[in-house]
Amino acid sequence: KARSLVRGKFVIEEEDLEGPLHELELALLSSDVEMGVAQEILDNIRDELVGETRTFTTSTGEVVEEALRDAIYDVISVGQFDFDERIAVEDKPVTIVFTGVNGVGKTTSIAKLSRYFEERGYSTVMANGDTYRAGANEQIQEHADALETKLISHEQGGDPAAVLYDGVEYAQANDIDIVLGDTAGRLHTDEGLMDQLEKIDRVVGPDLTLFVDEAVAGQDAVNRAREFNEAAEIDGAILTKADADSNGGAAISVAHVTGKPILFLGVGQGYDDIEPFDPDEMVDRLLAEE
Amino acid sequence: MVLDDLGSSLRGTLDTLRGKSRISEEDVEEIVKEIQRSLLSADVDVSLVMELSDSIKERALEEEPPAGTPARDFVLRIVYEELVGLIGESTELPLEEQTILLAGLQGSGKTTSAAKMAWWFSTKGLRPAVIQTDTFRPGAYDQAKQMCSRAEVDFYGNPDNDDPVEIARTGLEETSEADVHIVDTAGRHALEDDLIDEIEQIEGVVEPDTSLLVLDAAIGQGAKEQASQFDESIGIDGVVITKLDGTAKGGGALTAVDQTDSSIAFLGTGEEVQDVERFEPNGFISRLLGMGDLGQLAERV
Ligand SMILES: Nc1nc2c(ncn2[C@@H]2O[C@H](COP(=O)(O)OP(=O)(O)OP(=O)(O)O)[C@@H](O)[C@H]2O)c(=O)[nH]1
Ligand SMILES: Nc1nc2c(ncn2[C@@H]2O[C@H](COP(=O)(O)OP(=O)(O)OP(=O)(O)O)[C@@H](O)[C@H]2O)c(=O)[nH]1
Ligand SMILES: [Mg+2]
Ligand SMILES: [Mg+2]
Repeated sequence: KARSLVRGKFVIEEEDLEGPLHELELALLSSDVEMGVAQEILDNIRDELVGETRTFTTSTGEVVEEALRDAIYDVISVGQFDFDERIAVEDKPVTIVFTGVNGVGKTTSIAKLSRYFEERGYSTVMANGDTYRAGANEQIQEHADALETKLISHEQGGDPAAVLYDGVEYAQANDIDIVLGDTAGRLHTDEGLMDQLEKIDRVVGPDLTLFVDEAVAGQDAVNRAREFNEAAEIDGAILTKADADSNGGAAISVAHVTGKPILFLGVGQGYDDIEPFDPDEMVDRLLAEE
Repeated sequence: MVLDDLGSSLRGTLDTLRGKSRISEEDVEEIVKEIQRSLLSADVDVSLVMELSDSIKERALEEEPPAGTPARDFVLRIVYEELVGLIGESTELPLEEQTILLAGLQGSGKTTSAAKMAWWFSTKGLRPAVIQTDTFRPGAYDQAKQMCSRAEVDFYGNPDNDDPVEIARTGLEETSEADVHIVDTAGRHALEDDLIDEIEQIEGVVEPDTSLLVLDAAIGQGAKEQASQFDESIGIDGVVITKLDGTAKGGGALTAVDQTDSSIAFLGTGEEVQDVERFEPNGFISRLLGMGDLGQLAERV
């Protein structure tokens, strides 16, 4: 082999990396990192390492792992900003609209964030833009009651944009700081509903759009993140059900494909089960197993 | 979409085999690699994919293709047979009196599937009833009640009682005129010990003929752990895959079926009560691999 053994150093050849990178690929896939995203991460690592020298005392595997940590960190920390600071400086009321596919935890995350904001001294109002699903009004009403906050809702079948608009008007008239706008879950393949989302975005013009997805999601996470970001551009994401899953690959997929930061993790069904997202912690978690 | 690309690259690989009647080891390696990629991007468990591709490789190299069969078709048939061998036919659900318990992760689609399945049984001339034991999720009672009225089926729930086990017991009595009892439960996951205990108790009272695990088509590698935990606590007889109207391929269901040694019962393809189908292996496998009608081809070979 064409290794130059000069002063205890090796030059890393492409073929040295084949084994470790293949193992890495499987590890990333086992953590639910989407295949295309995993491939890009591995390509970057390969480009970075080929031709580099490593010392006699470290193995190629170790060098690769170090490079992986950096590569994952770069993806997962993309666009991070200080959320509390952002809320503080925005003109009030701040309107936040929550989007995402069915059943990922949009409504529950709204309830959690209502508590989060109230604890930080802001007043909130919820507006139920889910005028479609059975029991949607009753569900969010129960949250509003438990959290002692106002809910604006219309009859089932009403125009979602109109409800959110009413929420903003209510906040303006009553000096409320933050409007939390829910939307019905929809799959990104439903053109009619994706057009509707675009319209909501246009009519309401939210200050922030947060995309909600679940940490247990697999390879499809990239598809829906991409499509939702296209229909109504997002400012960040919330990853729910992190308590059910120790993989977290969905975080990498969503951050990579949208270039937008993960802002919060949902870690249970209680109102306090929400944590600011910490990229370092997520990298540790991803690299913990193998 | 990603898988479509993989599907076409798989087709590409296989097309190079068209016309060849002997397959070299290299060819087999190449195809098996593509099949691995298809299955992995469909969210099938990584170790299961490795197992499957090993047996496909072994068979493709050892077995003699029937005379006149193009190599490509021969390999495809093996792939199809292996997958059919794993998922088998739709979970058996006799059209008679029975009790079905639904379990699964938060938001996977249990309540919607309960109403859908009730509607399905009603189209078979049976009288179904849904019993809602979810006392935890806000609005769960109203949601189930509204879905059942859309499905025009009997419903029992009690928003004033917060004991799911008691609701299950009373619900079965109150709906004794129905032939098919479908018991909905609150969402829970494998790591929530108290909730796992709770569903074991519900199962004890309900004594279901069939317990179904409701899985979102988009679930990732976590499907394995969830399925094995639910199987251990209540015994899983079948899987319902929901949200197949999206782009997720539902490979988690394959993992779950493998883990629980069960089969797939229903597919959910929308939010309305009629958006439900009985499972049928050919369509599902073709979707999983991103290819056309494999069953037909396998039959021809
Ligand atoms: N374990 C866990 N469960 C969660 C979390 N967030 C939400 N859930 C549960 O997930 C289920 C669905 O949550 P919802 O808030 O109704 O989801 P949604 O996105 O509003 O759903 P649709 O409006 O139907 O699209 C509920 O049972 C929630 O309690 C979380 O962080 N962890
Ligand atoms: N597009 C689509 N949406 C579905 C399907 N099945 C369920 N849903 C939607 O997914 C969301 C969650 O469904 P639920 O039936 O409330 O799920 P669940 O498992 O009962 O949720 P919890 O009780 O909170 O654990 C709702 O918005 C449903 O309308 C499906 O097959 N296709
Ligand atoms: Mg909701
Ligand atoms: Mg439910």
